[in-house]
Amino acid sequence: MIPMEIDFILNGRAVTGKVSGNLLLADYLREHLDLKGAKIGCSRGACGSCTVLVNNIPIAACSYFAFQLDGKSVLTIEGLERDTTLHDLQQAFIEHAAFQCGYCTSGMILVLKAMLDHEPNPSRDTVVEWISSNICRCTGYAQIIAAAEAIIAMRANTGPTEAVS
Amino acid sequence: MSGAMRIVGVGLPRKDALEKVTGRVRYTADVDLPGMLHAKTLRSSRAHALIRSIDVTAAANAPGVRAVLTSKDVPSHYMAVYGYNIKDQPLVATDRVRYMGDIICAIAADTEEQAAAALALVSVAYDDLPVVATMEAALAADAPELFPEAPFGVVPGYGEGASAVMRPRKNVCYQFNYTTGPSSAFDVCDFVYEDVFRFSRMHHYHLEPFVTVASAREGRIEVWASNQNPFPLRKELARIFKVSESSVTVHVGTLGAGFGSKNNCKTEPVAVMLSLMTKRPVRFCLTMEENALTNTQHAAILKLKTGVMKDGILVARQSEILLDSGAYSDASPLVAEKAGYRIPGPYRWKHIDTACLCVMTNTAPAGPFRGFGGTQASWASESQLDMIARRLGLDPYDMRVKNMISLGEPFVPGESGMDSDLKEGLDLVCAEIGYHDKVKKPFFGKGISIGFKDGGGIKKAAQARVRILTNGDAIVNCSSVEMGQGIRTAMTQVVGEILQLPIERISAPAINTDHSPFCEGTNASSGVAVTGRAVAQAARDARQKVLDFAAMQLQCDASELSLENGVIVQGTGPNAQRHPMGPMVMGFYGGPGFEFTAEGFFMAPVDHRAPLESPCVFWEMGWGAAEVEVDIETGQVKVHKLVTSGDTGRSINPLVCKGQEDGAAVMGYGQAMFERMIYNDAGELLNIDPLIYRVPLAEDVPSHFVTITQQQGHGPGPFGAKGAGEATILPVASAIANAIEDAVGVRITELPITPERVLEALARKAKAELRS
Ligand code: FES
Ligand code: FES
Repeated sequence: MIPMEIDFILNGRAVTGKVSGNLLLADYLREHLDLKGAKIGCSRGACGSCTVLVNNIPIAACSYFAFQLDGKSVLTIEGLERDTTLHDLQQAFIEHAAFQCGYCTSGMILVLKAMLDHEPNPSRDTVVEWISSNICRCTGYAQIIAAAEAIIAMRANTGPTEAVS
Repeated sequence: MSGAMRIVGVGLPRKDALEKVTGRVRYTADVDLPGMLHAKTLRSSRAHALIRSIDVTAAANAPGVRAVLTSKDVPSHYMAVYGYNIKDQPLVATDRVRYMGDIICAIAADTEEQAAAALALVSVAYDDLPVVATMEAALAADAPELFPEAPFGVVPGYGEGASAVMRPRKNVCYQFNYTTGPSSAFDVCDFVYEDVFRFSRMHHYHLEPFVTVASAREGRIEVWASNQNPFPLRKELARIFKVSESSVTVHVGTLGAGFGSKNNCKTEPVAVMLSLMTKRPVRFCLTMEENALTNTQHAAILKLKTGVMKDGILVARQSEILLDSGAYSDASPLVAEKAGYRIPGPYRWKHIDTACLCVMTNTAPAGPFRGFGGTQASWASESQLDMIARRLGLDPYDMRVKNMISLGEPFVPGESGMDSDLKEGLDLVCAEIGYHDKVKKPFFGKGISIGFKDGGGIKKAAQARVRILTNGDAIVNCSSVEMGQGIRTAMTQVVGEILQLPIERISAPAINTDHSPFCEGTNASSGVAVTGRAVAQAARDARQKVLDFAAMQLQCDASELSLENGVIVQGTGPNAQRHPMGPMVMGFYGGPGFEFTAEGFFMAPVDHRAPLESPCVFWEMGWGAAEVEVDIETGQVKVHKLVTSGDTGRSINPLVCKGQEDGAAVMGYGQAMFERMIYNDAGELLNIDPLIYRVPLAEDVPSHFVTITQQQGHGPGPFGAKGAGEATILPVASAIANAIEDAVGVRITELPITPERVLEALARKAKAELRS
């Protein structure tokens, strides 16, 4: 297959890539760009462990072609840290032990980041609705929700910390 | 110790926190070796058939293909079958296939896509055989024999009252029996009740697939495995491939969960075989669909016959449990032991008689699953107890309290004493749902349950090593696998407490069987209660070595010294002198410094009087309570409140313990309400597609969902800890079924509790009322 050239923003930096038409975004990120933070759970768009944000919308990288990135911006878990400073969601996940095996964690954090960018002051139900796009088999979700609620409460007091978008 | 650091019992950030929230953590699925090939397998499309021929010619010549493996490529001197006590699963299918999913042929190619493309060129001719998709079909007199040849395996030693046989009858690979007390106890009972319960089957749905990277040459095997029992795996690979066990190295890092499935051989033998054939590293990683075909929970039929007095005193229980073991025996004999042993529940009996049979069917092999037979047993036992209470006109709470084993009382003769106050736990969950409130809303009901299992494994041995470095930093080497449960964090906290050292200064490296201390495996919630004891002993002994050394340097008695954050403290109070370890150690050993190393060991005592030949290390108890509302028009059950509780004895890290209890409870909730593998009569798994197979999402969790971690303090592990992580899956389904009977007077005896089943039960009840 003839590779196509795509221009996109990867974790805040403009890049040009050559991808074949059938290359999945998950494979492009993991195998070509060595960004292994997106995990492959089901390869079927069911589990969300491969979630990344494209134009700040969560998408399943296992069910999205790399060429579709052309002209868009993608954020992976690797892009969430700013100069080694953790994003407040990452900090909250640590404080609330909102992960166990960690396989769903990159995706869960990114989903919550997108949620907070779209709805800065969501209700608990909204949190539940957003993370119901992704599966966590380990935690039973309670501590993930607790981490999200802690951030929402904190941001209500102090305003959002800067996040990459 | 006044002013001592508190490390145990604090919800410290997990050791793996940073790498997991940044995506930097690497799992086995991420292992990438230079020159690595990729494997894919052709799986049987028939549930039961003889293989007439396999043609791989075209596949062998396909682009990128480096090796094609079928059974005739396996050297005859290998012992290419595996399993626990019974070795019946071939590395690749030989003359026949026994389920849709059996591996027939494996291909290693430069890329996964090439391997998959080549597999499409393999043609297989089958001669179909009759299919036994269910246990009933397998046990029918005219059922085809799934294993015509004699079983290759062993029955382990059992203690008082317990016994087992291999292949007691056609299509049953193993039967476990346990008996205590005279069967005449039934004769004095006021009532004897017989009820049958059905338990559904889930697949583990761990997000990291089964995956192995193998690098093997003649006489030398190295694997990176997503496996929770690295040492037994080493032994099994050495046996299969006929190499010395010391020539096998198993690396285990972080697992993307397992819930019991990642034990024994799964992807490892095929990866090793292909690596031997190609002399290249080979990665064999399954898809989610293949995970479901590789290992599952046991569906079960549980028949209970229970004799009671009219005041609700339990007297005798006879039970027959059938476990759907699927196509190969895997760990089914071990699960049978546990399901059979746990079926009486935590109550006093005069007579127990149990038979648990592993029934082979043409479905995916079943194996260990969180709860390990205890989930099946608790479902039936706690349902029937409630039914009997209601038949006798007793409150199910009172009936439980009347019969429950008290703290310190042995479960059965020869067993260790109960190490939880069962009533204390029950009262907690009852209070949380307002169980004793008198007001009853129509169509609302409340139910309770006590889940029960022995924890810590049988004759389980673990070693550990703690090393205190020059400046007081420490390394804990032990082989409890980190699969999400937080065991590496717990171990560093145990060491940290003993050494009075922040866990940032303690590392718990990944496992490599060449260097790591032996451990039988990470299972049976044994991490803290078994391996943790070895770790604690090693930490205490290593500390003592440091103090002895310091005493020699300071010319004092070691009892005057303590260790705190890498500093030797001499004396107490304001006049205490503080000597940092580094200068003292280097002063004696020179610039390169030194390590003070100690080993720890723990194994539960072997005692023939105990039925399983080893008194239970600790009892893992899970209390549950639910409040439901039943819509009698639609059969929908809404669980308004779900409360579960475990007793950790002492939580090494309360945040981690809570996470385990939440996760186990939600897994139990999915099983209770909707999650299950659906097979048809042809042995086809209908909901194999991850988009269709339904696991609990955040939106499925009841809005009032509470887990209460008790720390009753009676555990045998470090600082009074027990194991955790399985307890709260146990009581959920029965608590919900009990609540449904309380709400609308119908009994659901089959999981999951679907609206159809509720409607059917309601219709049956209406009919019966009409008749009477
Ligand atoms: S791996 Fe992409 S959704 Fe599961
Ligand atoms: S932490 Fe394991 S799947 Fe979420």
